[in-house]
Amino acid sequence: MANNKEELLKQLADAVVDMDEEKAVELAQIIVAEGIDAYEAIEKGLSAGMEVAGRLFEEEEYFIPELLMCSDAMYAGLGVLKPHLKAKEGAAEEKVKIVIGVIEGDTHDIGKNLVKILLETSGYEIIDLGRDISPQKFIDTAKEQDAKIIAISTLMTTTMDGLAEVIRLLQQQDIREQFKVMIGGAPVSQAFADKIGADSYAVNAATAVRLARQLMESVA
Amino acid sequence: MSNFTPKERLLKILHKEKTDRPPVICPGGMMNAAIVDVMNRGGHVLPIAHSDDKLMAELAVDVFTNTGFENLGIPFCMTVEPEVLGSAVDYGSMKCEPKITQEVFSSSSAVDFREFAVMLQTGRVNTVMQATYNVARRFPDIPVIGNLTGPVSTAASIVDPMIFLKDLRRNPLAAHKVMEYVSDFLIAYAALMIDNGADVISIADPTATGEILGPRMFCEYPLVYINKVVEAIHSQGIPVIVHICGNINAVKHALPELKADGISTDAMVNLRKLKEEFPKLVTMGNVSTYLLEMATPEKVVNNTRHLLQEGIDIIAPACGLSTTTPLDNIKAMSGTVKEK
Repeated sequence: MANNKEELLKQLADAVVDMDEEKAVELAQIIVAEGIDAYEAIEKGLSAGMEVAGRLFEEEEYFIPELLMCSDAMYAGLGVLKPHLKAKEGAAEEKVKIVIGVIEGDTHDIGKNLVKILLETSGYEIIDLGRDISPQKFIDTAKEQDAKIIAISTLMTTTMDGLAEVIRLLQQQDIREQFKVMIGGAPVSQAFADKIGADSYAVNAATAVRLARQLMESVA
Repeated sequence: MSNFTPKERLLKILHKEKTDRPPVICPGGMMNAAIVDVMNRGGHVLPIAHSDDKLMAELAVDVFTNTGFENLGIPFCMTVEPEVLGSAVDYGSMKCEPKITQEVFSSSSAVDFREFAVMLQTGRVNTVMQATYNVARRFPDIPVIGNLTGPVSTAASIVDPMIFLKDLRRNPLAAHKVMEYVSDFLIAYAALMIDNGADVISIADPTATGEILGPRMFCEYPLVYINKVVEAIHSQGIPVIVHICGNINAVKHALPELKADGISTDAMVNLRKLKEEFPKLVTMGNVSTYLLEMATPEKVVNNTRHLLQEGIDIIAPACGLSTTTPLDNIKAMSGTVKEK
């Protein structure tokens, strides 16, 4: 039985890495039928698989189409497992909240969606505002939700100033210290992040996860 | 005095012939120089110049006369093609470029293939053609560059981009069909630009980067379809510039297979090394748009001089310019090339 469980969890992780949505669903169903703990299956199967996928992405074995398909397999498996999570596990866990979105004027959200997926699979609770979001909306949501991190992206040079505006507004409202601000997107750079006073700049989605961890460690 | 008109110089470079110095250009489209400083001077402003042919032409002329760039570039966005193909577009503001508000199709297999003949009379196609004709007639010595949104970017602007990127792997048959359709459309659209006086076509395909797609998908999709568009344009005797965004490392090996006459890259790419590796490439670029926006004119001059020393064939901004880029920085860049 133990072997069987380990084997099933490994197969579930592999299904995610292999971008095999049907297999992920099938395995998740078997896992439920076998009475294996859903939380453990999510951790050691689905999340483990996404971690491998994220690493392959960083190593340039996988690119965005592959990573998106891995995440589809992961979410498909999650759909099966989630209803079987024991109530206390869901509630007991205090996840760090991150508000994420694409800045006003910009609708390019592929990068933002990738960051969201990887952060979500790394155990953060993501509040996704979507695209074309005003600076104040980021702040309002972060306050309402008691988020720790505000993650903003833009793909267009013409909207980069919106990122600076979020930080200006936080300063004006005297709440800059309450949130860590992480920025990313093609035209954005470390130099730009330094200039506008962002806490960190993520060059890609995999880096964003690492930076989020660092930011939270620096607070703790 | 130079013996070359700007048009002769650019065309010669693109045909791999010798000239007195590199041209300094900013093609238009995604890489346009309709900055706020220029609009304030000329009084022809976006967003209304996106959809009015006379204003579009005048703005192109304002950019040319104020910046020192040696070309006229039409249009000023990447949304003409997806709009004609059915997607909803917001024309943005003076400072902010137009964007797709809603892709028209939910997946590659949902794409409704329509007749080009009718479509080419809709949207802003005619605006672009009238503006092209207008500037081409008035400035016979200045190259007019017609700008296309590349096939992958256009496809990912009519099909939800997240879905489309997955379709490239999951549903290649449908994805290829969409790419064929979009490429054929771009060919017909470019032919109209050429009929109306475009001397060069520039293709920017920011979704088709090595960073996004990786080498395998890059070779299976953009390489094939950009080449298809390029060859069709070549058959009309017109040269083509292709701009590739981002870091090209993952797809560098495939660049010699690209049939474009000039390759433009982003600031992080070392063009000198690229030239060393592939001596036949005509390189274009890559003055940092970050420097252009944020730095002093002196720094821009240094960056530009460096590119000149390295023998880059065409000097241009590395990517899309921020609309708040100071005009003085752009003039510093173009002036440095011309003083040579």
